[in-house]
Amino acid sequence: MTPNSFISPQPAYVPGEPVERHVADEELVWTEDEQQQIAAFRAQYPTHDGAVMKGLWLAQDKFGWLPPEVIQFVAETLEIPYAKVYGVATFYTQYFKEQKGQFVLDVCTCFSCQVCGGYDILHYLEDQLGITKGETTDGGLFTIQEAECLGACGSAPMLQVTNGPYVHNLTTEKVDALLADLRAGNMPGFQSVTLPQDEDELGGNRRSDTDAVTTYQTPPVSETLH
Amino acid sequence: MADTPTLLTGETKAGDWRNYERVILPPIKDLHKIEVYEDHGGYDALRAVVKDGKFDPKGLTDEVKASGLRGRGGAGFSTGLKWSFMPPVDPEKPRYLCCNGDESEPGTFKDRQIFEYNPHLMIEGIVLACYAMTIKTCYLYIRGEYIDYVHHVQKAVDEAYAKGYVGKNVLGTDFSTDIVVHWGAGAYICGEETSLMNSLEGKRAYPRIKPPFPAQAGCWGMPTTINNVETLADVPLIVNRGAEWFASIGPEKHTGPVLYGISGHVNRPGVYEYPTGMLITDLLEIAGGARGGKRIKAVVPGGSSTPPLTWDMAEPATMDAETLREAGSSMGTAGLCFLDEDTDMVSFTRRIAHFYHHESCGQCTPCRDGTGWLEKLLTRIDEGEGYTRDLGLLLELCDQMEGRTVCALADAAAWPVRWGIRRFRDEFEAKCKAAAFAGASLGDGSALETGELTPTGTPTT
Repeated sequence: MTPNSFISPQPAYVPGEPVERHVADEELVWTEDEQQQIAAFRAQYPTHDGAVMKGLWLAQDKFGWLPPEVIQFVAETLEIPYAKVYGVATFYTQYFKEQKGQFVLDVCTCFSCQVCGGYDILHYLEDQLGITKGETTDGGLFTIQEAECLGACGSAPMLQVTNGPYVHNLTTEKVDALLADLRAGNMPGFQSVTLPQDEDELGGNRRSDTDAVTTYQTPPVSETLH
Repeated sequence: MADTPTLLTGETKAGDWRNYERVILPPIKDLHKIEVYEDHGGYDALRAVVKDGKFDPKGLTDEVKASGLRGRGGAGFSTGLKWSFMPPVDPEKPRYLCCNGDESEPGTFKDRQIFEYNPHLMIEGIVLACYAMTIKTCYLYIRGEYIDYVHHVQKAVDEAYAKGYVGKNVLGTDFSTDIVVHWGAGAYICGEETSLMNSLEGKRAYPRIKPPFPAQAGCWGMPTTINNVETLADVPLIVNRGAEWFASIGPEKHTGPVLYGISGHVNRPGVYEYPTGMLITDLLEIAGGARGGKRIKAVVPGGSSTPPLTWDMAEPATMDAETLREAGSSMGTAGLCFLDEDTDMVSFTRRIAHFYHHESCGQCTPCRDGTGWLEKLLTRIDEGEGYTRDLGLLLELCDQMEGRTVCALADAAAWPVRWGIRRFRDEFEAKCKAAAFAGASLGDGSALETGELTPTGTPTT
């Protein structure tokens, strides 16, 4: 650590010069559907501010990430100050403040996953994709992130694909299959994990409308911890 | 203390749990569908209370109080008592209920099962709670990572609206209530009730100073009650079967069914529903025993913030607040993580510290900086660069963090470290260098190495 590292980082722009923009002005428009959606969000809360989180989610789904101009756009839509929306966007980890790959792989390594090989999966992914956590592959296809507890401790190790579906009970083979699927453009769907007591008493998953079903399994032995 | 009989008897307080029949997640196919839920007595409790006048609002609150239901979100506060803190209805002031489904505590994954497998029980509980406190709006806060489950819940809420169980004039009566599903975007702190309210209001989710408590000034400054998902799911059961039935399950002071989330080194992890007061050893047996026939060394009984127990301490303990307090931990969210003999407790504690460092909201200095220092010191010890003096430093740091912040995140970060060191000190010492601190004499006249402590915690050599 250098002595200067406690000083605020240099601003990414030079005052007076135009700021680098990622989304053109003409793209910053909501469709009719989205406008209705926003109106519905607003009606759910007593103040405009309440709809900020849902507005940011909508914007992230539309633009992929939240560069300053998109945050500004959300602020103008909801008629609240930019600084407020920026404050919210920077507080939460799931809002992407920088450009990510098409598929963001959030590998859970929090303690239940850690003791069941979460780091093995993370390191395996890093080896397979030739990047380390926090980085994006050259073609912009994959980003690997180390995630905090995703609330699927019983099916550890696991990961989440781009703030969406969970992939449970990971093994290296499953990671290979997942990467192949994603390269082919197939996003995994929702997968239901059967309760152990349901297996005993109902003979399987209780939801008949879910095809993708898995069960809780004995977690693998973690190589990094044993 | 001698007169108080010990609760650590090594005997189960859950009664005949082997013949326990599940009630929160009863074994019924497709219970998440509203028709199936109705066929099995769903929304009967709501009809009995709202339409047939089984209880008036105060009566319902008293019934819940009498059942001994305690919050399932971690703090274990009496739900009926919490409801009774709501001030009298003032027509000028809207009142809110927040259903807390943020569930971010590492080791906890129980609410997700309710969202997926029995959402209508929770919705019925929400409407009943709204009735008991005369509330017209409930915000159901679900963590952003559970987006798939948000869709499940939204679908269930829409079905309940269509059938007239939620919305204007519930079941044709004068009583109206709305449920708004809100989802977060990845912040552990939103599980804390006051930061959940800030998050709802569209602010950065910083916890607020209490008092004023949410019942006085909560969401948008209005009276608010916050309950966990599982807590609210218990309410229709209490109405249907009575407070006495509920109070008869499990030990006297901590009653009812609980969803135990079991993870870690066991053969069959998962969520299991049983009464409170289960022996930890019985839960291990249910979960198929230790993986690979290993010996279990430690157990975290209720999520990351509860102090880990050594197996000797856990063996006589049952899963209820009083017994676990005596055993030296707490009930938390009943998310148990079993650790076998090969687990490195230093790495484990370091990972917990990393979690809290990442999730500290940064509002209070003891927490923002303290969690960072905890992680740095633990990393140094874990990497073999620490000194035995660092253990004392860590404990001192814990003293400086506990009880000195707006919310309990700093306490939650300090406890596992403090009790991890106290209870597994041998392992920590084994990873430290023999010298007490950099440059200290080893006793044989030789100095280990020179080096100074720097602000980054990395010794310069």
